[in-house]
Amino acid sequence: MITFESVTKRYADGTVAVDSLDLEIPDGQIMVLVGPSGCGKTTSLRMINRLVEPTSGRILVDGQNVLEANASQLRRGIGYVIQQTGLFPHRTIEDNIATVPLLNGVSKRQARERARELMQLVGLDADTMARRYPFQLSGGQQQRVGVARALAADPPVLLMDEPFSAVDPIVRAALQDELIRLQAELRKTVVLVTHDVEEAIKVGDLVAVFRPGGHLAQVATPERLLGAPADDYVRDFVGFDRGIRRLSFFPAAGLALETQTVLPGTTTAGAAIEVARREGEPWVLVISAGREPLGWVAVADLEGRPDSSALSEARLTSVEHTFRPDTDSLRAALDATILSRTERAVAVDERGQVTGTTSYEKLRDAIRGAEDAADRGEPPALARHPAEQVL
Amino acid sequence: MVWSWIPQNWTSIWQYTLDNLLLGLLPPIIGLIVSVPVGIACVLWGWLYPPVLSLSSAIYALPSLALFVVLIDYTGLGNLTVIIPLTLFSLCILIPAVVDGLRSVPESVRQAATAMGFTPVRRLVQVELPLAVPVIIAGLRIAVVSSISLASVGQLIGVPSLGYFLIDGFQRDFPTEIYLGIALIIALALICDVILVSVRRLLTPWLRGRQVSAGPIRVLPITAGRM
Repeated sequence: MITFESVTKRYADGTVAVDSLDLEIPDGQIMVLVGPSGCGKTTSLRMINRLVEPTSGRILVDGQNVLEANASQLRRGIGYVIQQTGLFPHRTIEDNIATVPLLNGVSKRQARERARELMQLVGLDADTMARRYPFQLSGGQQQRVGVARALAADPPVLLMDEPFSAVDPIVRAALQDELIRLQAELRKTVVLVTHDVEEAIKVGDLVAVFRPGGHLAQVATPERLLGAPADDYVRDFVGFDRGIRRLSFFPAAGLALETQTVLPGTTTAGAAIEVARREGEPWVLVISAGREPLGWVAVADLEGRPDSSALSEARLTSVEHTFRPDTDSLRAALDATILSRTERAVAVDERGQVTGTTSYEKLRDAIRGAEDAADRGEPPALARHPAEQVL
Repeated sequence: MVWSWIPQNWTSIWQYTLDNLLLGLLPPIIGLIVSVPVGIACVLWGWLYPPVLSLSSAIYALPSLALFVVLIDYTGLGNLTVIIPLTLFSLCILIPAVVDGLRSVPESVRQAATAMGFTPVRRLVQVELPLAVPVIIAGLRIAVVSSISLASVGQLIGVPSLGYFLIDGFQRDFPTEIYLGIALIIALALICDVILVSVRRLLTPWLRGRQVSAGPIRVLPITAGRM
């Protein structure tokens, strides 16, 4: 746990970078500090490992006041990743990663062994890259080395200062996914600074929004930030279509599924029409013997056919995208529905077998229900899914 | 050219070459030993650097011969009278080189080192000085080359060097000696330069295959007021 107790940083010229900040960063979570330039987010981060010392107030890491610790010792227990990577140009990749273990007096052989382990962890091939120098790597690879170096001594706390700002959007998305994956495995206490609110919402367990002048505007989960911004400043900062983006945090598991109108291709047109009328559905979904989706059939189309003809002979409308209620969010379900010509989307399980269908009406109810639950303070249950873009 | 003169005087040619080499190398070596701590101090305490820079530029503007003459009163006609001014000239090149070298270390690297728990001394030795090596050696190359050529001026006050052949050849109107002296001075300087480039390559494997820039080294007017 990292605690800021009315921390103020005032520079000699009178500028107040951070003004009486109170903030608690719980263990094992990613806390994102986000805000425009000059809002004091980076200064706040750097006060944790004493690259900047507060003018007043206290910062506690696991109950210990950082100002009372030996600065070098304190820093070896806190990983640090920066935008420009700060890799040592004169050291090989493995020696860069081995830096902190070496400072801690670990033998060179052991430190390098550990470095190679970490290279695998962050997705770098140790055999080909360990002996290279930083300049021989791409920006994205350098940033992975930076993360590996910060993790080398297995510190409980990781500070990241705009770690993904210098790479192109595709690499940035990959690195963000990587961070989420790593965090699921390592459960570090991560403090990440960014000016990009999308990044904050994507990777943060908690987001602290700063306003200019070093004030805290709101601390909340990404879902709360989107669903209940504290004021106009936060609302503007969070930006456009927050209602849609918020759906990423609601699991699709709560969605009611239509199962009656999911029919095998051998069903007769007459039987299908009967089921569809009973359910009040204008479309039925045709599935294979292995329950894979084959396509939609319009009830209106069936009515022009002999009652005894099989469903598989009817004209099929493509299913387009499917979604998985067990892992996807309501946003993915909504997206699949929008993309479908039938205004319906197909839910499948991990084997790709159909479990039901959904429609705008069902989505509307599920969204309303999830929003109400969230507004009552019930946390959404969706585990973060790296593959899903929260944009 | 009287080629036969060369083998006939082989012993004295070899002796003067060695004298010149020693006289040319000692000043930059002493200069390097002095300028590293001075340069570090100038980086640590920024206010120190402007006066140090002004002083060294002023010294650099003095003609070497004038310094030799002034020093004769104190140190006589020995090697020291030549070594002291040449060391001062080396400092004029090497202190800025050390300062520029240390300042060429990217701020992000310095900050990362601090944040990882390097103590200031360890950071200096393990990160900043190694990264300053290319710029320092670039300065050292200038210092060594100019020191080797300036050492020959010492002959004017009787300190042995390849300058002997220039003066003797002039007095006896014997061009072979002059050409030989010039050729040997250039050869010495070039050989030392090549050795320094190799040392730099050896010390900076991380620059291999990459365009090497010497960094923001100050180029002083080398020819100002010489001889």
